[in-house]
Amino acid sequence: MSFTRLLSRAALVSKVGSRSIFQSSKVDISKPNWIRVGLAFGSTAFLWGLLFKQNSADLHEYRVRNGLE
Amino acid sequence: MLFLPEEAKDLPPPSLFNMNSVWLAFSSGLASMYSNAINHKPPLKSGVHRLVLMTTIGWYVGYHVTKIENYHFAKVDRDMKEYIKLHPDDFVAKDKKTFAEIVERFIPIR
Repeated sequence: MSFTRLLSRAALVSKVGSRSIFQSSKVDISKPNWIRVGLAFGSTAFLWGLLFKQNSADLHEYRVRNGLE
Repeated sequence: MLFLPEEAKDLPPPSLFNMNSVWLAFSSGLASMYSNAINHKPPLKSGVHRLVLMTTIGWYVGYHVTKIENYHFAKVDRDMKEYIKLHPDDFVAKDKKTFAEIVERFIPIR
């Protein structure tokens, strides 16, 4: 990904009329892509929930199989 | 999700806080910080959502890796015990002598 960044900077320097196919505009870091941020945090919460559920399911299964419940 | 057979469920599941999780989460977090640094962004202050996501993925994968590891070692231990039970002649216990019986009496020569 940083390789494409290097290539896009070269396009800015060369000042020809064509645009780079990799990026049509420079990345504006002051305006975050909220959809991507929301998806990242959402999938984080989802994965933690999955982990806790899996752990409690495994614990329950272990107890049932060994007759401790 | 698991690459484990059914009998692996007889084993107690690993604690949520286990070393594989910690290490993989730490290295995934470090990887996201490195990728920030390579793109000339402040490593910790930018892309917190990426850092958190990578850390979580590392922790999750580490938990399953620990489960696979526990099953593997439990299987190896069980096979070893079975072998010892089937070949008792190879595993005779030696008579133990205490040090007092082996060592000669101490006579200081000064």
